[in-house]
Amino acid sequence: MRIPLISIKIDNRTVAHFPGDSLKGEYQIDAVDPDDLRAVELAVLWYTEGKGDEDLGVHSFERRTTDDDPTANLVELQTFDVQLPNSPLSYEGVLIKIRWCVRVRIFLKSGKTYSADSVFQLGNVPDAVAILKSGSGESDHAVAGTEGAVAREET
Amino acid sequence: MARLLRMYGKKRGNRRTGSQIWGSAGEAAFSLFFLCVGILFLVRLLNSLVIPEWNANQGFVQDRGTVKMTRVGQQPGGSGVRPEILIRYEVDGQPYEAWTYDIHHQNAVPDYSSDPAAVQEVLRQFVVDQEYAIWRDPADPKVVVLVRGYSWWLWLLLLLPTAFILIGGIGLVYTIFHWGKSVEHREATAQLSRRFSAGVSVGARSGYPTVPQDANLTNSPGTRLKYRLPIDISRGWRLLAIVLACLFWNGIVAVFIISAVSSHRSDHPDWWLTLFVLPFAAVGIGLIYYLVREIRIVSGVGPTHVEISDHPLRPGQSYQVLVSQSGRVTLEQFEVSLVCEEMATYQQGTDTRTDRRVVYRQSLIHFEKVDVIPGASFEQQAGLVVPMECMHSFTSEHNEIQWKIVVHVDLSGWPPFDRSFPVVVCPEHQRVGSFANSAHQYQD
Repeated sequence: MRIPLISIKIDNRTVAHFPGDSLKGEYQIDAVDPDDLRAVELAVLWYTEGKGDEDLGVHSFERRTTDDDPTANLVELQTFDVQLPNSPLSYEGVLIKIRWCVRVRIFLKSGKTYSADSVFQLGNVPDAVAILKSGSGESDHAVAGTEGAVAREET
Repeated sequence: MARLLRMYGKKRGNRRTGSQIWGSAGEAAFSLFFLCVGILFLVRLLNSLVIPEWNANQGFVQDRGTVKMTRVGQQPGGSGVRPEILIRYEVDGQPYEAWTYDIHHQNAVPDYSSDPAAVQEVLRQFVVDQEYAIWRDPADPKVVVLVRGYSWWLWLLLLLPTAFILIGGIGLVYTIFHWGKSVEHREATAQLSRRFSAGVSVGARSGYPTVPQDANLTNSPGTRLKYRLPIDISRGWRLLAIVLACLFWNGIVAVFIISAVSSHRSDHPDWWLTLFVLPFAAVGIGLIYYLVREIRIVSGVGPTHVEISDHPLRPGQSYQVLVSQSGRVTLEQFEVSLVCEEMATYQQGTDTRTDRRVVYRQSLIHFEKVDVIPGASFEQQAGLVVPMECMHSFTSEHNEIQWKIVVHVDLSGWPPFDRSFPVVVCPEHQRVGSFANSAHQYQD
């Protein structure tokens, strides 16, 4: 059986976005028969990584199914335009990392699901490093880096 | 090769293996079990206890009967007793006799007591060969009772199957509602319902998702600056917790110590007991030392007050901080810092652990060798500049980024301690109104 291919493209993905900006882009599903698709979901969300258990917050969510419109073609190119919120900003900390992404998840009629993420940066917060107690001075700051594209496929 | 059924889950990087469908099926089966047990239990209770009692009080017809004999009934295979009275009565000219007392006498689940004196007292109320009012079932002349009423304990017992039904029913509805839903779909639905029920993002500042609210930080005006900040953890509650722990632990250990000492004094030393008690006694001594230390801090060192010129804080902005420390001590070192700390909570086996890391520290005030005059307080005011591109305060279920003003006090002849005063740092500017942060509506 072919594995579906989910392509997500975010405009200006390598550049940091800021609160209030419009996050624009498009996504498309290939290598799957449109008749095999039951639903497609698009979510703009943040999640945490690191030592602590993962938390997740959904900023924007859209679900399209064949139940709503049997004639709809779920695999065709779709665009999105989402206004980004004030918080939380993307963050690379010591114990906690906060990442923003656009996630597309597809549901096949066979019951299987596939998803892919495209990470983007919200805000321009410098990376954090752990410091020991000192009498004075500020923490060291690394140069703020932009996240490389991360597409994750899971079954 | 993909397996049809994974018997256990493993962590693979940031993912976990496991089948959502089988997980949901397990949840549904668990809820269904509770629901079925609750319904069966409720039906049994209603049929055997509630409905017969209700019928006896509402549907039985009154008649007259003669007591022919009384006795104390014994519970078969047990020690319970109950009053049993032999009644003779007539229905439509036909005579009947029956051992009875109340409706539970007739039930498949008879009601026995453990108090023979109370049963005897009941039997003394019925004299042989005297007539008494009886109530009989019009549908079945053989069913008759001498007393009626409602058992209060029966209605309490109904809470048990009700709890099972609620747990099972709600769980089943929840599982069915979320069947096949992705984690993003569930979270979007949960966020919508939280917003509709609470009006604003629960726990978060309006317009700033995940930034904690500061209502509790700005409800106390300062004497010279705008706000007085509350301390992070009340020292009084900490002291109370230590007192209770010390009393509880040492109370139990003392019993064993007394027993061990008695054995040595009676020339029959119990060395196993003595060795067993030693580590516990060491912990008890440690608790006592910690308690004394805390009492010295609370009694000897006065309260610390922190006031701030404005709140919440924003990156790149300047503020004034006023710190006041009272007491009758010499401050070897007095330092006030603006600190940013990360806190991450995670499961390790069956334990829940929290890790902390300080990722930013800015010294605001630093003094050494200061004598605090009794009756007066040591006060210092300083400027605070929040770094330009710092991370804002963040709170979620398992992770937190907390900003706070930390007062570190090192005293001559006293143990050093820190007192923390949380503050909230918001993102630089609010560019989006709170209404725009609502999740988009979705179509099912």
